[in-house]
Amino acid sequence: MIAVLLALAGLCLILAAGMGRSHPRIWLGLSVIATLCGLSAALSVLGGGEIWLWRGGFTLGGEVPSLRLDGVSALFLILVCVVGGLGAIYSHEYWSEHHYPGSAPKSRSWWSILTLSMTLVLTCANGLHFLFAWEAFALSAYFLITLDHGRGEVRKAGWLYLAASHAGTMALFAFFSALAARTGTWELGPVHAQAGLAPLFWLALAGFGVKAGMFPLHIWLPSAHANAPSHVSAIMSAVAIKMGVYGIVRFSGWLPLPENAGWTILAIGCASALFGIAFALAQNDIKRLMAYCSVENVGIILIGLGLSVLAVQHGQPAWGKAALAGTFLHVINHGLLKTLLFFGAGSVLHATGTRDMSRLGGLWRAMPWTASLFAVGAMAVSGLPPLNGFVGEWAIYQGLLRAVAQKEHAAGVLPAVIVLAGSGALALAAFAKATGVVFLGAPRTKPAAQAVECGWLMRAPMFLLAVVMLVIGLLPGLFFAPIMNSVAAWAPQWSGADPLLSPRTLGGAHTVLACALIAGVALLLRMVRTNGTRQSPTWDCGYVAPSSRMQYTSGSFAGIARGWFVWLLRPEVLIRRVRGHFPGRALVVERIPETVLEKIIDPGARAVGYMADAAKKMQHGRLHLYILYVFLGVTALGLMILLGGV
Amino acid sequence: MFIYIDILLRLALWLLLAPLLPGVINKVKAWVGGRQGPPVLQLYYDLARLWRKGVVVSTLASPGFIIAPAIAWTAVVAAALLLPLAGAGAALSFDGDVLLLVYLLALARFCTAWGAMETGSAFEGMGAAREVSFAVLAEIGIITAVLTLVVQSGSIALSSMFEPLPGPGAALLAVGLFIILLAENCRVPFDDPNTHLELTMIHEVMVLDHSGPPLAMILHGAAVKLMLFSVFLAQAVLPLSELPLLISLAALAGSVLLITVAVGLVESLTARLAFKRVPLLLTIGFLFCLFPLILTWMGDL
Repeated sequence: MIAVLLALAGLCLILAAGMGRSHPRIWLGLSVIATLCGLSAALSVLGGGEIWLWRGGFTLGGEVPSLRLDGVSALFLILVCVVGGLGAIYSHEYWSEHHYPGSAPKSRSWWSILTLSMTLVLTCANGLHFLFAWEAFALSAYFLITLDHGRGEVRKAGWLYLAASHAGTMALFAFFSALAARTGTWELGPVHAQAGLAPLFWLALAGFGVKAGMFPLHIWLPSAHANAPSHVSAIMSAVAIKMGVYGIVRFSGWLPLPENAGWTILAIGCASALFGIAFALAQNDIKRLMAYCSVENVGIILIGLGLSVLAVQHGQPAWGKAALAGTFLHVINHGLLKTLLFFGAGSVLHATGTRDMSRLGGLWRAMPWTASLFAVGAMAVSGLPPLNGFVGEWAIYQGLLRAVAQKEHAAGVLPAVIVLAGSGALALAAFAKATGVVFLGAPRTKPAAQAVECGWLMRAPMFLLAVVMLVIGLLPGLFFAPIMNSVAAWAPQWSGADPLLSPRTLGGAHTVLACALIAGVALLLRMVRTNGTRQSPTWDCGYVAPSSRMQYTSGSFAGIARGWFVWLLRPEVLIRRVRGHFPGRALVVERIPETVLEKIIDPGARAVGYMADAAKKMQHGRLHLYILYVFLGVTALGLMILLGGV
Repeated sequence: MFIYIDILLRLALWLLLAPLLPGVINKVKAWVGGRQGPPVLQLYYDLARLWRKGVVVSTLASPGFIIAPAIAWTAVVAAALLLPLAGAGAALSFDGDVLLLVYLLALARFCTAWGAMETGSAFEGMGAAREVSFAVLAEIGIITAVLTLVVQSGSIALSSMFEPLPGPGAALLAVGLFIILLAENCRVPFDDPNTHLELTMIHEVMVLDHSGPPLAMILHGAAVKLMLFSVFLAQAVLPLSELPLLISLAALAGSVLLITVAVGLVESLTARLAFKRVPLLLTIGFLFCLFPLILTWMGDL
């Protein structure tokens, strides 16, 4: 059954990749069918809890292909299917033939290839084939990011992505070949028995960590997410970086782990969460803001995973199970809400042509649907009840707090809880800023004033996502049950333990809360209507000529919190004051550089370049000096042998 | 059946008693200043008057301008209902409800900031920016206090979390939570609820454009939040739940009154801080919550 569904999904995607160039409607239909097939396969594995295995009767590249779908990979497959399908619908209007005649056909085929290769990454149970799928996934993502390659910044972002991605892949090549060499087979599976394999986990963490965008390996992520078309940003942020997370989750479950693996993951998670959201808050570009927010959410996921690894190492299923269930739910939640947010940002970009928040404002009047759906996403990403973002974080927090309550092994968990709370509050600040500056108040520029609402093909996916997010918030019990199967697939030894979570109670509380919220709003609206309203300009303390340029901008909104992180963010401010008798235009431009890339990696790369240039002087074409090199080399070797070193 | 009556009673208690606290604070301030001051029940009169008034809506504002205060008010009241009341315990309790409480307050904050951004006013934008930024430090402090209680009691549900700390820890925690109470409720030295200089304020400046019933909800919500923090502080520090029901409730009421008077005294005797110093004082509040955490953690090892 699952084999048929998956084969059908794969076939549809292959067909879609082939026919998508010329037949957009058929492509859309095939994509939706593939989504539904993949989704039902993933759900039946998650619901049943058993592993689906398939081995081919032939060899491919010298290895027998084998596919495997268990609780962990099925969970991530859901994300691939949902975002793949909804993104296809969204892009049908957003990146249509009409607007982008040159790149729309390419967009469609690469989209299908990307979803297909990600499905293969999740199902391949052979290291060699996994690497092939991984490479196909990385390359197709590159072609999607650079769809709009006429713009220089897009090409630059794509190049950076490609370089970073392959640096990660290099670590993965080393990892998989070392694994195959030590175990004697390319087949992947649990290898707990061979304790000597433990150091390989660091290779996997580095290789997958680049893709996951964990701090400080996130350097490619902000520019790639900001410059890609919005449906591509959505799948990159919601799904592609989750492939990196999948790799870390998968191999932390299968490999014997080094002793300090749990603490390391926890520490990386804390750094990603805190620094990611600090960068996000300071951004003025709405898509860059959300890209950095993805770094934060990967951090939250890693905090949960790190705690689960610690729980395995200390034999504490109670908190491990809660934390891991929260982690898995947060993977899904972040995928859904970030897709919604990127779709919303895409609609804004579509309508106004700018991503700079300080040029937007007052969009709710023209785009009420986008504004309210974006607000739902913003509240969910800030972890506010009764939406889904809170449910996942709640479970992770519970794992952390239980570890704290037990006290024995967990002094390091205390800072993690504080970091999680702090980054949650910073996320709220970042998204209060994003929604407030973009959608509320008065339009700051002409394009913002002339915006129009996006069409229903772009609105429908956003609406659907918002509904799913609300359902997860109100009925978390429904979603925790299958996720427990994923938890069991990751840590089979915990099968008997009680996770001590009460999602149904939380769901009840959320439902009551939602009803109370509706009642409160209805009461106030009714009261306001009976008392009567009067329109009047905003009170600006008696000032007679307020203008839209006087509003708080994204830079000023983030000013206070940015001041706290100035050592990390290092903002570059260019101020041109009014000076002299015939002054030019006054100007203030603020740029938040990507600190790790521009202050550490760039200078490092330049230093390597200088050294290479210096070394080039040795190659000058003078034969007698070359002979001297050879003579010196031979003499040195001879001396080494004579003096008995070797 | 019993539980519904219980919840309704609690709801009535929170809604009816909360507006008393700002009245008490104002009375204390008046006494210290040698004035007669407004009556203790002034806020009730104000609320009743506002509730009947019409609303002036900014031409820039969306329907969210009215919806946001309603959501914020409901969220604060819901958070208050989660809190146990000394010997009476909590009406609804489950593991991790303390996180729901913290995040409901965050929901209220998001909606207040939303309402402020609606009007496109520079002042209100400034207030919203300050509110969400300073709240980061306050939330860190609150979660540290919660961690202290979790370590002390070994429980992660509000109903069984409030166990008394040994002496010095309790004193430190009280100071830390009191500082956070002042910041989160926008009292002096963080904010001045009485000033008319919009440039200097956080909370009051966010609600400049609100009027009528939405403003009533905002003012009432602020009072409930003040009471929520007072009740939390009192229970976190004093061993109230071990007393018999009526005595414990009376002790809780007494300590809430005491905290309110203390807020009034602080407000009379200190000046508002310069804005640059606000994060510093909040960090001190966080540290005052962190020390008892370390004390409790080390104490049992």
